[in-house]
Amino acid sequence: MNSAAGSISQVSRAASASARFVLLLLRARAVLVLILLLVLFSALAPEFFTANNLSILTKHVAITALLAIGMTFVVLTGGIDLSVGSIAGLSGMAAGYLLTQGIPFNSVVHYPPVAMVVLISICLCLVVGALNGWLVTRAGVAPFIATLGTLYIARGAALLISNGKTFPDLGGTVRRGSTGFPAFGQSFLLHVPTPVWMMMVIFAIAWVVAEKMPLGRHVYAIGGNQRAARLAGIRVQQVTLTTYLFSSLCAGLVGLIIASQLEAAHPATGESFELNAIAAVVLGGTSLMGGRGSITGSLIGAFVIGVLADGMVMLGISEFWQIVIKGVVIVLAVAVDQLQSRLQARLVPFLAQSDQGVAR
Amino acid sequence: MSRATTSMPDVLLEARNITKRYPGSVALDGVTFRVHRNQVNVLIGENGAGKSTLMRILSGVESADEGELFLDDQRIVLDSPRDAAAHGIAIVHQELLALTNLNVSENIFAGRELCDGTFFIDRPKQDARSSFALQQLRKPMDLRCETGRLPIGCRQIVEIARTLDQGSKMLILDEPTSALSASETESLFSAIVDLKRSGVTIIYISHRLHELLHLGDQFTVLRSGRVVGESSRTEISRQWIVERMSGRAEAASAGERTDVSTNSAVLSVRGLSLAGSAGDEAAQTALHGLNVSLRKGEILGLYGLLGAGRTELLEALAGLRPIASGEIALRGKTIRIDSVHTAMKAGIVLMPEERQRDGLFPDLSIRENMMMSSRSTLFLARGEEIGRVNQLIADLHIAARDIELPITTLSGGNQQKVVLARCLLCSPVVLLMDEPTRGVDVNAKAEIHDILRALARRGLSIVFTSSEIEETRALADRVLVLCQGRIAAGFEHSELTDEGLFAAASPPVVSSMANSLHPASGHPA
Repeated sequence: MNSAAGSISQVSRAASASARFVLLLLRARAVLVLILLLVLFSALAPEFFTANNLSILTKHVAITALLAIGMTFVVLTGGIDLSVGSIAGLSGMAAGYLLTQGIPFNSVVHYPPVAMVVLISICLCLVVGALNGWLVTRAGVAPFIATLGTLYIARGAALLISNGKTFPDLGGTVRRGSTGFPAFGQSFLLHVPTPVWMMMVIFAIAWVVAEKMPLGRHVYAIGGNQRAARLAGIRVQQVTLTTYLFSSLCAGLVGLIIASQLEAAHPATGESFELNAIAAVVLGGTSLMGGRGSITGSLIGAFVIGVLADGMVMLGISEFWQIVIKGVVIVLAVAVDQLQSRLQARLVPFLAQSDQGVAR
Repeated sequence: MSRATTSMPDVLLEARNITKRYPGSVALDGVTFRVHRNQVNVLIGENGAGKSTLMRILSGVESADEGELFLDDQRIVLDSPRDAAAHGIAIVHQELLALTNLNVSENIFAGRELCDGTFFIDRPKQDARSSFALQQLRKPMDLRCETGRLPIGCRQIVEIARTLDQGSKMLILDEPTSALSASETESLFSAIVDLKRSGVTIIYISHRLHELLHLGDQFTVLRSGRVVGESSRTEISRQWIVERMSGRAEAASAGERTDVSTNSAVLSVRGLSLAGSAGDEAAQTALHGLNVSLRKGEILGLYGLLGAGRTELLEALAGLRPIASGEIALRGKTIRIDSVHTAMKAGIVLMPEERQRDGLFPDLSIRENMMMSSRSTLFLARGEEIGRVNQLIADLHIAARDIELPITTLSGGNQQKVVLARCLLCSPVVLLMDEPTRGVDVNAKAEIHDILRALARRGLSIVFTSSEIEETRALADRVLVLCQGRIAAGFEHSELTDEGLFAAASPPVVSSMANSLHPASGHPA
């Protein structure tokens, strides 16, 4: 009897150990894919794994990563934000208008300093974010539709600002006191480009909120079970609104970075960026149903997309094939995600089981 | 093995020596279960005793590892629910599967639509057969009504009508009354009696002993995957069931009752009114000027039929439903409640009725589920959380091996205790509980009752609703009976009787449980 019981618990412990291992592999799959891609491209293109190229790569990634991190909270609540690309375009155009056209006041045109320009542009984006939040929480519009609407509204507004034209020469002049805008996205701090700094800061804030603060836990709770969240005393509407505001803030930063890097604001900036951001979020293992996922995952997802794109360019793969491959990767990622949740459901009893065995 | 069953009434179906193993556990261990023709066969057991596994095997959803099924002494093999249906075996699941977006008639024929020889659905024929099936159940309803707009009791009838139309001779009802009010339960019982008369054999699973004693003809008790008792109604008692289910003598459930009549009032509600509304999800009963007062350490039961306004009253107090008029005072101070958050801050906490829908975060761990409402710091203090969680796990006897595992790894009773722990972590003054032991087995129920009494002794005031008269009587110091949004009567514990509660809860025009369904068995005491 004893030996039989012992062997059973041994078997179940072995099963539990392999269950844990399989789950760990599946959870870390985004990292594994990233490492695989890095190794692959480094082997195929010698100039890929150089400090210079990696710096450029990271700068590209920063754009997608910022949008993806903002998007993650929205997706965790069970929503989606399709308007981020348009908001990025709007923020760039607002900055371009303020820098080149100024604000007419008492029949004198005032040119606000760069800090003010950045602030006003971001505030404009927050207004769109607030509109998203209001539509979703108060008006009861489905997030997909609400943000699809604001996608068009923000894009139209961006086009209206300049009547569809580009604002060039955002360098500003000393006479107007409006120089310094290019530094926003082009300068370096400790040899690291400013957009990468912004990505790191936003990531740090988002990570702390998600992992260490009640607000983050409430976001997960709302995505997991909105009714239960309300009954647990969570202010569902405020929390949801906050996620849309944060997403629009990130999008606003992206628009300013791009305008600053190009020293020009074009109203079509950021078109289809929302799709890249959603792809990064999903690659990072966040469930579009809400409640499950992580900020770190989205960062890694953004890197996977960035590395894939840059690497394929370096290998000289046709642009059309690049698009196809990107699509394949995204679909595979979601398929694996489904596999994970199914496996997880099946493996969790093993975990519980083995603990009972040990306890006995 | 071929033991003659002549001493027993005619056996329709026999499951012989059924064994079913799952990784790490044996769900059924050589179970022999006999289903008697034209009788209500009751299957009883605690959560995890193997009832549902056995029913899944009988309805073809799963197949047994060992053992055989005999229908009318012919060996049968059931590989799918379709096979079972072909043999006339149908199941009405605990979680109703009605397609809420389709109408009654469409539901009855979902997946087996009748065609008029062409490609088109023969609606008149479907309707005719639907209304015939519903008439058999003495529950005619509008066939064009969307099922989602029907009360749960009617949806259940629709499901039963579906099985009737399929020509089922054996019907499995898995906890059919867990979501029903007393009046709906009554009408279900009369439907079951009618079915029995028309020659349908019934397997009935429930946790509610008084129902089983009222309705059952043959009793089989499962414990830990084995049959531990088998008998007919005439030979058994409540005691017999409880002892076999739990494997020990029934604990004295009453417990000592402390006198709270001299304690100060904690909560006083004056003239609380709520606007009524119709609709599917948003339907609510209007409340008309309710006055409720609650003493410190008192357990107040709210009793009433479905739609009497019990849930509405609790949810209004918890800030979930906007109040039309009325005044709520907590410890002498008038408070304004406009959201769950403000109610919680004031000290009024609601433990919701439907655990799966309103209580649990299935993606999150036991610890995170428990700590969801307590928020006092800017950052989460993990170490402190673990300490408090472990403390509550010990206090409430929650059987959790690892607090970082998903909440879904716990049994129903333990999940319920986690939700209770979450409420307690808000340090409530008044705890509101809507059906505190719904879907929980007998032992866990007794445990939860003990916990609630202990909490009350420490000064917590509790208001609970229950559709079980037994539970209301066992737990409450005082009972208010609601009827159509008004308080119909109030009883001190010493004045409580089943008849009194029923009479007060029934609206004047509707007949009560008068014409007894089961004259032979009488009313359960």
